[in-house]
Amino acid sequence: MAEIVLMRNFSNPESHTLDAYRASGGYAAWDRARAIEPAAITEEVKKANLRGLGGAGFPTGTKWSFIPKTHTGPVYLVVNADEGEPGTFKDRYLLERDPHALIEGMLIAARAIRCTKGFVYIRGEYVEPWRRFSAAVKEAYDAGLLGQGFDVVVHRGAGAYICGEETGLLSSLEGKKGWPKIKPPFPAIKGAFGQPTIVNNVETLCCVPPIVTRGAEWFAGLGTKTQGGTRMYSVSGRVKKPAVYEAPVSITLRRLIETAGGVSGTGRLKAVVPGGGSAAILSADEIDVTMDVDGLKAAGSMIGSAGVVVMDESVSIPEALMVLARFYAHESCGQCTPCRESTGWIYKMVHRIVDGRGHKEDLDTILDVAKRGAGTTICAFYDGAVGPYISYIEKFRSEFEALIPHG
Amino acid sequence: MTDGAPSTSNRTPAVQAGLSDPATIVSFSEAQLGEVRRLQSVYPDARGALLPVLHMAQETFGYISLEVEEYVAALFDLSPAHVHEVVTFYTLYFRERPGRHIVAVCHNLSCHLAGAPGIIAHLKQKLGVDPGETTADRRVTFLTVECLCACEAAPMAQVDDRYELNLTPEKIDRLLEGLP
Amino acid sequence: MAKLTVNGKEVEVPAGTNLIEAARAAGVEVPHYCYHPGLSIAGQCRLCMVDIEKTPRPTIACNTVAADGMVVNTETDRVRETRKSIMEFHLINHPLDCPVCDQAGECWLQIYYMKHGLYDPRMKDEKVHKPKAVPLGPHVILDAERCILCSRCVRFCDEITATGELGIFERGDHSEIGLFPGRELDNKYSANVVDICPVGALTDRDFRFQVRVWYLDTAKSICPGCARGCNIEVHVNRRRPHHAEGRRVARLKPRFNAEVNKWWICDAGRYGFGFVDAPDRLLTPAQREGGSSTDVTWELGIAAVAGALRRLPPEQLGVIASPKMANEDLFALRRLLDLHGISQAAGRVPTRVPGDEDDFLIRADKNPNSLGAELMGFGGDARTVLEAARARRLKFLWVFGHDLLASALSERDVLEAFRAVETVVFTGSNANWTSAHAHWVLPAAAWAEREGTYTNFEGRVQRFRTAIEPLGQALAEWEIVGRVMASLGQTLSATRAEHLFRQLVEAVPAFAGLSYPLLGDTGSPLAAAGAAGRPGAGAPPSEATSSSC
Repeated sequence: MAEIVLMRNFSNPESHTLDAYRASGGYAAWDRARAIEPAAITEEVKKANLRGLGGAGFPTGTKWSFIPKTHTGPVYLVVNADEGEPGTFKDRYLLERDPHALIEGMLIAARAIRCTKGFVYIRGEYVEPWRRFSAAVKEAYDAGLLGQGFDVVVHRGAGAYICGEETGLLSSLEGKKGWPKIKPPFPAIKGAFGQPTIVNNVETLCCVPPIVTRGAEWFAGLGTKTQGGTRMYSVSGRVKKPAVYEAPVSITLRRLIETAGGVSGTGRLKAVVPGGGSAAILSADEIDVTMDVDGLKAAGSMIGSAGVVVMDESVSIPEALMVLARFYAHESCGQCTPCRESTGWIYKMVHRIVDGRGHKEDLDTILDVAKRGAGTTICAFYDGAVGPYISYIEKFRSEFEALIPHG
Repeated sequence: MTDGAPSTSNRTPAVQAGLSDPATIVSFSEAQLGEVRRLQSVYPDARGALLPVLHMAQETFGYISLEVEEYVAALFDLSPAHVHEVVTFYTLYFRERPGRHIVAVCHNLSCHLAGAPGIIAHLKQKLGVDPGETTADRRVTFLTVECLCACEAAPMAQVDDRYELNLTPEKIDRLLEGLP
Repeated sequence: MAKLTVNGKEVEVPAGTNLIEAARAAGVEVPHYCYHPGLSIAGQCRLCMVDIEKTPRPTIACNTVAADGMVVNTETDRVRETRKSIMEFHLINHPLDCPVCDQAGECWLQIYYMKHGLYDPRMKDEKVHKPKAVPLGPHVILDAERCILCSRCVRFCDEITATGELGIFERGDHSEIGLFPGRELDNKYSANVVDICPVGALTDRDFRFQVRVWYLDTAKSICPGCARGCNIEVHVNRRRPHHAEGRRVARLKPRFNAEVNKWWICDAGRYGFGFVDAPDRLLTPAQREGGSSTDVTWELGIAAVAGALRRLPPEQLGVIASPKMANEDLFALRRLLDLHGISQAAGRVPTRVPGDEDDFLIRADKNPNSLGAELMGFGGDARTVLEAARARRLKFLWVFGHDLLASALSERDVLEAFRAVETVVFTGSNANWTSAHAHWVLPAAAWAEREGTYTNFEGRVQRFRTAIEPLGQALAEWEIVGRVMASLGQTLSATRAEHLFRQLVEAVPAFAGLSYPLLGDTGSPLAAAGAAGRPGAGAPPSEATSSSC
């Protein structure tokens, strides 16, 4: 495997401490960044082709540049550590094993967007990651890294997948239920507490110190033409060595599965979820795709949060869809009508099919409902649900039909 | 340091607070009220501290009863309905007193593929309750939950604060034995 | 200003106008549920999708600001298809219990299904069940299954009354609106949530199961409940009286007026119409002699007043008019008094306790026309007239409307005054202590039974129209005055309220320049009338076009 950037410190059992982080060259990037003009930092991140690693894949430097130049009030940096995408666990590792990398990334990003206060929104179930990260924040305060023009507030969520959506997260941070906000205005104009806000994923910000230290060209060179760097792939399901793997974004899905020890169970691949539960499923013959934003887009799926879930021949695709449909019905925030109503409806239909009580028109109804609802809601949650609804049925229709009596 | 999370822990609230009497008076101590004010000052708008203070309230009172909602609403000068919206939206706030321990088994995709249904069936049989219920002896509240993001070690569960990984029926049995 | 094209029609709208209003300005209706011009933008119902040129997919109109050069189309195939789908989503868990739903006939699920839905239902699974027929407070009842979670009611309580009683609890398709357990929706404006509820989720407990809305007739009116003069519609049941045990006024609904009440009215005003059909209505002229009262003809009743006017010197005649009377009544009365040189006249009766007031709509003065009364010379305190009576300077006293004992006046003083006067005449719509002690009762039509104008506390003159016929033989006060004048050989020269208004405009300088056409539906301020002569308050935003949505 090529260069290890994000997981470079993981092998050290003390990697979460300030001493260990410093010993491996930590906070050198921050020292360097302090001497760079904010706009130049943003430029560097743009040139590095860093794209958001939380799900949407939006160019990070471009996002930062959306903060209005004329704004005189506070600007907030919010870290999305509300990891929750099914099949994804990378941010948990970063929070536990390299919390200072995130703090350093925040310091640099804050300088770039002229922000004096950052919030880290950690999902409520992440107790150990929260403890580790909070301890690191305390160390950083004690060492004078924080509190000198930039403060960090660690905030715990309370159990809601939708808070991983950036504006749902902001609503939640503001003490409300996590209903995503209608756009416009976008967070960079009016975000947390009504102020311009940048929301970045944990892993995204962890990429920033290496970019500053080693240069945009180096980072860009690790990836593809449209996306720089490496990223952390969470690989689980029917593979022999489920784990988080770092690789350049140009790696193929086939190679990634091999890296994870190959297919377990029957040993014969049936399908792969390439980018977390909300990504359209790929069949066994679609795995020669590169695992970057554009590669998976071209394959009709998405890289999302890079959660790879492997399914061998013995896996029931209808059952897998039922599990995900239950998840979307449970996690729909209830704000927009199409999502609120149809996630529950589709779950009922899929559940019925798996139970052997399906009607032959159910499959077409699900497909039609999903397609009609796609793109009609405030946030991307429903579109994320539509990915599996459609792809599981379209690519594995006969499996569903086999469960429908007189189908 | 400006920690937006209350400076205490998570889950197993009843055990930590040593509470057993449901008729506990809903009122924070002076020190806790100081912590509430500190949390409120940390956010640009005091309401930002609502989730952290609800976490605190749950640890203190065991769960978020309607009385607790009203109490917290008053601390934030919010209408109780708006606090109720928040409490009913999130899964980590208990609206009824949970058992002394929480066993929350993930039933999402990777855990499902790794045998979560078997783990859930085993727990049902061992505990004698369905997901969402609490054992008669109040020892365990058994839940099924969505992805807890430890899929590399599926099937898994959160038992109180801890992630318990690579579950097997045998491991479940040992875990349950370790829960007082 | 922004110049844009909607369905091929060019339209110019003020900067910041959203596309629902911009389309409206172009005569195009964009269907919607959660959008309400009086509330913040929620963007939840997703029904107001339109196509904007160079935009990849349909966009919600409510949260899109009209921009110069924008080309908007509300009728592309994909917009129609999207709307149809959204309608299906709104209805899959809806109980479809229209036959027993009060909202039927004015339900925007029904209306939009017919216009934009018309799909074949595909939902075969068990619907989500939620609480039904839950009283939320004194006036409002909730059926959570019918609710489409548009959040208008929640936003109303957050943004308009700032009372925050309502919330949306739980999530996903189990979301439901409700109150904090144990609390009530009992703010002073609570029933507005019924008006803005586009479906049958929130209905009016008072109106519940009274009459189907398609049997209702409507008249534009003004709330007589206080000096604000909120614009309302009076909904009356003339066609199915047996459905409501003879109750004719079915309900009052707010009517949009940007200058007065926007989209809202208070509950006190909304439910203040009970007197119109109350059993204590005065139906026929009557004479009381000794302890008993006898119905008489109008001729006899009028003759009693006319006789007194003819017989007695003006200084022995006293009148207590009412600030609940219309400008036209007060003007007629003023003319009569002036013709006879009667100077003992008042209009104001002090209240026992000050009326409640807030910084929104509710005024402490519970009279709709105090300013009009003042301008017509009836601003004086009734105590001076009663004083003259007690001093035995009056032989005749004509009281309009007031229940003099339900006031701050001392009971002893009032009784003494009444005993000291030879003839007490009462004119009003409902019986009260005054009518019970009057020698003559001349029944007046209630405000909903006639037309006229009120001048609100800000000097805005507004018309109210006839919604129903007067009960029994009741007449508008100006007609009673007219009959008195006629029997004295004088002439009022008016067969309609408008005729009196014309005379009033000529005679009372403050009203100069006003006319019924000028007042239109939304009235006109006194001072501004002459100069600007503008009719009403301009085109109301879309919600004003219907009483319910």
